[in-house]
Amino acid sequence: MSAISATPRGQRRASALETSFKQNRGFYGAIVLFALLYITYNFLHPRGFTTNVLIANANESVALAFVAMAQAVPVLAGGLDLSVGAVMTLAACIASELVNGDPLRMAFGCLVTLGAATAFGFVNGAIVVYGRLQPIIVTLATGAVAIGLALLIRPKPGGDVDLDLNWAATNSLRDLAETYHLFEDGEAAWLQPIAWVPVPLLILVLVALLVWVPFKRTVTGRTIYAIGSAEGAAYMSGLPINRAKLAAFTLAGFFAGCAGLYLAIQTGSGNADIPQAGAYTLNSIAAVVLGGVSLLGGIGSAIGALIGALILRSISFYFRILSIDPLLQPLVEGVVLLAAVSLGAVRALRVKNRLELFR
Amino acid sequence: MVSGPGAEPACFAPWSADTKYFQWDKKDGPYRIAVVNGFVGNTWRIQMIKTAKAFVEDPAIKDKIAEFKVVSTGTDAPAQLGAIEDFINQGFDAIVTIAVAPEGFDRVIRLADRENVVLVPFDNVLDTDTVMQVNEDQLEMGRQWARFVLKELEATGKTSGKILEVRGLAGNSVDRDRSIGIHEIFDASAGPWEIVQVVGNWDDGTAQKVTADALAVHGTFDAVITQGGSTGTVQALIDAGHPMVPIGGEAENGFRKLVAKHAGDGLKGLSIGQSPGLVAISIKAAVAALEGNVMPQLISVPLPAVDYTGLQDGVNFWTDLPDNFFTVNEFPPCGVNISGPAIMAQTEENVQ
Repeated sequence: MSAISATPRGQRRASALETSFKQNRGFYGAIVLFALLYITYNFLHPRGFTTNVLIANANESVALAFVAMAQAVPVLAGGLDLSVGAVMTLAACIASELVNGDPLRMAFGCLVTLGAATAFGFVNGAIVVYGRLQPIIVTLATGAVAIGLALLIRPKPGGDVDLDLNWAATNSLRDLAETYHLFEDGEAAWLQPIAWVPVPLLILVLVALLVWVPFKRTVTGRTIYAIGSAEGAAYMSGLPINRAKLAAFTLAGFFAGCAGLYLAIQTGSGNADIPQAGAYTLNSIAAVVLGGVSLLGGIGSAIGALIGALILRSISFYFRILSIDPLLQPLVEGVVLLAAVSLGAVRALRVKNRLELFR
Repeated sequence: MVSGPGAEPACFAPWSADTKYFQWDKKDGPYRIAVVNGFVGNTWRIQMIKTAKAFVEDPAIKDKIAEFKVVSTGTDAPAQLGAIEDFINQGFDAIVTIAVAPEGFDRVIRLADRENVVLVPFDNVLDTDTVMQVNEDQLEMGRQWARFVLKELEATGKTSGKILEVRGLAGNSVDRDRSIGIHEIFDASAGPWEIVQVVGNWDDGTAQKVTADALAVHGTFDAVITQGGSTGTVQALIDAGHPMVPIGGEAENGFRKLVAKHAGDGLKGLSIGQSPGLVAISIKAAVAALEGNVMPQLISVPLPAVDYTGLQDGVNFWTDLPDNFFTVNEFPPCGVNISGPAIMAQTEENVQ
């Protein structure tokens, strides 16, 4: 390998960071956009840069961020999953029935919730792969099935998710420790530097780092990118196409399950809300695009989609600070979104050769 | 929690004799108030937002309000909870909201209590007795429709028959309670009554379609009760050439127009509406609570009902205004006097 990649004399060898930047312009652009939006918001907020504001914002963003990650994986493989919002709703309804009682029972409830959502994703994948159908059609149908199941489990909103868990999972690490009397009720000296970290943010980062990052490095993970770039070439190279597609939809189910589980814990209940499921599916696609994932597949990452979800949420934060006519807010949000997405396409205006776009 | 009676009982009527009373620490005004709406995009919600904006400009309350914000989060529970929490963090004194779900607000209720913020859900209220809420009695609305229809049928000598019930959005507590009220009265009547249920989603288009379908299957009905989309329901009756029968319905302008026009042919109607003006009463209640008054936990706003004998063009319906406009907006006992046409007129001025 080293012999092939050795650079010709006289040509500067690009640093790893530079290469990473060139290959992930959308991702880095999304990070910069998010940082700008969020820091400005905190400057404008009367209590900006405080833990309370960060906790509130994190709580609001977790479910959408997970759904965006769920959407990103099939999109990377060149597909689209229209069932993510519905699977999230189904998972939340299951969790609202099971996540209560003693800690062991709650843990079991969480596992069943995540397991059911993951299994649902696997079924999506199996139908796409073995039924040889278009993902968009398959998931449109299975999404309706998921909502149907959710309505069956929870015909009316309700459920009693453990209130301590609700409080602990939607606050800072200090409150978590205090609720469960850990680490001297959260006053242990070593905990103090990180006591302000919101639990929802921690959950999000941990799942992204422990599930997505290792998965991306496996052959199956890289095959997902290969399918999105050129399925034919990936097939001719002997890559495990079917396995990768199955894995993509299964992982989407898992992430949607995480979203649903958190939603149930956050609201202490389950609600088979059909418009909400639809809104999350649509927003997940917007987040994926904002996060620098190409809808054609092969470019981007689930982490990018996570950032995209945060951008989407940050835009709506502004309506609470600035005085914008309430009936104009959807219009403003749409225009800002369009502008943000267009930023990513500006490069296309000044390329001399279309091939440059793919470098 | 304290004992009653509360302030201004004519306006802030307690729901029932068992209703609890609350009292908050008195705060000095003027206050910062936010409205956190969920879904936006139908006439009712738009009229509600316009009413809220007009009400806070009313001289009676203008001086008590320092800052007023309205946001709509869409049908997204985390976004609505986040917006409420954000306003609590910003140090707002009161937050008025239409909940997107009857459950799930434990965290923000706890935070609001801790920060001494008055949280007032109205319209779609929460299944809890720990916050002050404002609504119309949906159960009673159903009962009134059923009683009216029974009375009108009896006047024509009918004591049994077939009734069409056009229901609202499935899974919603308003739809559930209105339907329970209707059935309660019919079940108590000797009958026998056969009640055919269809789901019209409180939407004219849907209600018209499902009514037409029901007429095609069942032929004729002796009376109709429609929870919403009432204009569409009547339109379907007219299109099918169905005889005009007694009807209970919502307070859309179009429905009242049709009842006024066809009452002589037998379309004897009772119109009761969930008013977008509830938002104004909720804001007023929030201000009263901040001023340290004793308030009922659940405030019952009187049902604005009018039957075919009381309809007057230019007073409680308007032939020159659109069909999907909601006629009831004013509540004189509460000093909420923003009439529907005033709001419509205001927008037109703004546009010009």
